[in-house]
Amino acid sequence: MATHQKQAQQFARRLFKLSLAGGLVSPELVAGVLEYVEKHQPANPAMVLKAYHRLIATELAKGRALVEHAGSLGDPVLRSIATVMTQKYHRPIAAVARPNPALIAGLRVRVGDDIYEASVASQLATLAASV
Amino acid sequence: MSTVLEQIEQQIAKLSNKAVKKNTGNIRAIADGVAKLDGLSDVMYNEMVQFPGGAVGIALNLEEDEVGCVILGDVSQLKEGDEVQTTGRLLSVPVGKALLGRVVDALGRPVDGKGPIDSQVFYPVEKIAPGIIVRKSVSQPLFTGIMAIDSMIPIGRGQRELIIGDRTTGKTTVVIDTIINQAKINRVGLASGDPKFRPVYSIYVAVGQKNSNIVRTIAALEAAGALEYTTVVAAPAADNPANQYIAPYAGAAMGEWFMENGMDALIVYDDLSKHAVAYRQISLVLKRPSGREAYPGDVFYLHSRLLERAARLDGKGSLTALPIVETLAGDVSAYIPTNIISITDGQIFLETDLFNQGIRPAVNVGLSVSRVGSAAQLKATKQVGGKLKGELAQFRELAAFAQFGADLDAKTKAQLDRGSRIVELFKQPQLNPLPIELQVAVLWAMQKNYFDPIDVKKIVDAADKLKTFFTTRKDALLVKIRTRAALDAEIEAELKAACDEWKATYAA
Repeated sequence: MATHQKQAQQFARRLFKLSLAGGLVSPELVAGVLEYVEKHQPANPAMVLKAYHRLIATELAKGRALVEHAGSLGDPVLRSIATVMTQKYHRPIAAVARPNPALIAGLRVRVGDDIYEASVASQLATLAASV
Repeated sequence: MSTVLEQIEQQIAKLSNKAVKKNTGNIRAIADGVAKLDGLSDVMYNEMVQFPGGAVGIALNLEEDEVGCVILGDVSQLKEGDEVQTTGRLLSVPVGKALLGRVVDALGRPVDGKGPIDSQVFYPVEKIAPGIIVRKSVSQPLFTGIMAIDSMIPIGRGQRELIIGDRTTGKTTVVIDTIINQAKINRVGLASGDPKFRPVYSIYVAVGQKNSNIVRTIAALEAAGALEYTTVVAAPAADNPANQYIAPYAGAAMGEWFMENGMDALIVYDDLSKHAVAYRQISLVLKRPSGREAYPGDVFYLHSRLLERAARLDGKGSLTALPIVETLAGDVSAYIPTNIISITDGQIFLETDLFNQGIRPAVNVGLSVSRVGSAAQLKATKQVGGKLKGELAQFRELAAFAQFGADLDAKTKAQLDRGSRIVELFKQPQLNPLPIELQVAVLWAMQKNYFDPIDVKKIVDAADKLKTFFTTRKDALLVKIRTRAALDAEIEAELKAACDEWKATYAA
């Protein structure tokens, strides 16, 4: 079971590398990979596809800045966040807004695994933990 | 009320307005105290990772697609999908004198119900051992209070001396007696006001022990008044393997604080066999390749990096380590015992046969050794105990002949008698460590043949009476032996007078 999983992950990684064009995920190449998998049915296709899905999702998350905000957020702010993150991560990053009233005020920006906390809710949580 | 408001306003003012960056991941799978995490792209090896609900983990497996993390704490509230954060810190434990007299877990949190520990200093659990240049040779004695050890297998401050034997051979008793002896010496030394006196603080790390055993040990230390100079780090068998893996390193960090602040400390690891088993369990769950006896390939490094942290530092203090290893059927050539024998500066081997014969402590003098040797022995002990090991070795050789009922010449009989008396003399009840000056006095009496007229079966009783005689009536002489640390003509004359006086009054 462990060997199958490892083999499926290795195969999925190879498929993932084939899905990149210029270091970014290419929809056309992803479609091509899926067609190939459907046609040739590798061993443990479910495991392979789940691992492939996880790799693609992780890569896509690295190219997106999810901006959670409480209250209103203008387009200029979104564009400026996208510009700053693009400079920081040396790759094109698109900013996507998502309202989240639980933040109370401020922003939380997530790019891949990194989270930039500038919300009142997180500061109150830090205050509560330190008291 | 205004003070309360001011306090809150001060806390709010302390909070930074800057955005705080965190690196996060998610739990993909969790089982057997180990979590497999997605994300955490910035995590470093051995970094502390924060789980929801206050549990912490250590990142031990950094793979291409996932991070394997051992969890220290309660895992019951964790589930797949929970968010996990890096902390940017290594796992650290509180250190300092505030831990003396306390019982803590592997993370340094109190478990004795005596309230929080007031410590502002934290030391990392994993630390590189001191290099060669900063070390100093071991030359100061560490007295265990056990005559068989202090006279023939002397231990010095900064040494690593392994205590090895089968189950129920008295390994824990030896270390507990040593800890109690340090407390006794500390009390006398601190009361004397001697500016050169250096107390020894003790740390007892219980790994994989039964809770009842740990409680019994703590009770024994408390009854002997030793707990005030001791910290107990408890990672019992009911604890998860990650806590049992971390506990010895946490104890070492606590000992290093004493060492680096110019003080002397003693650390006991009870026992490293169970520590290796806990590490094996973690490694197997992390799917690391297994080697001999299913232990991971770095099981030697597990113990070498721990024991190398015990040292004597130049211009600072020392950390003496007494690791314990349990053997099966007396097999000292098994994997883990041989690993640790090769790391330490000697071993004290306790035998089941000797224990069953009533020779307690059941020290096999032939197989036991201290590589530091007489460099860490008082001159007085060397003067009275220097020949003992050789005499016992001769006795053991001749004893083999005696059991066949062969006709023996007078010299052989004398050697056998002497050997039997030495063996009887070294018998010592547990929780009763002897001050070194008293050991010197008793061994001097043995060397000067005061025990020869006494029947072998009555040697224990005679030795007890001699000890009582010295402690109640010749305390000044004992103080002289302790302070001068060598037997000169004056002390030998006083010893002779005292032993003659005792002999006259002793009725066998």
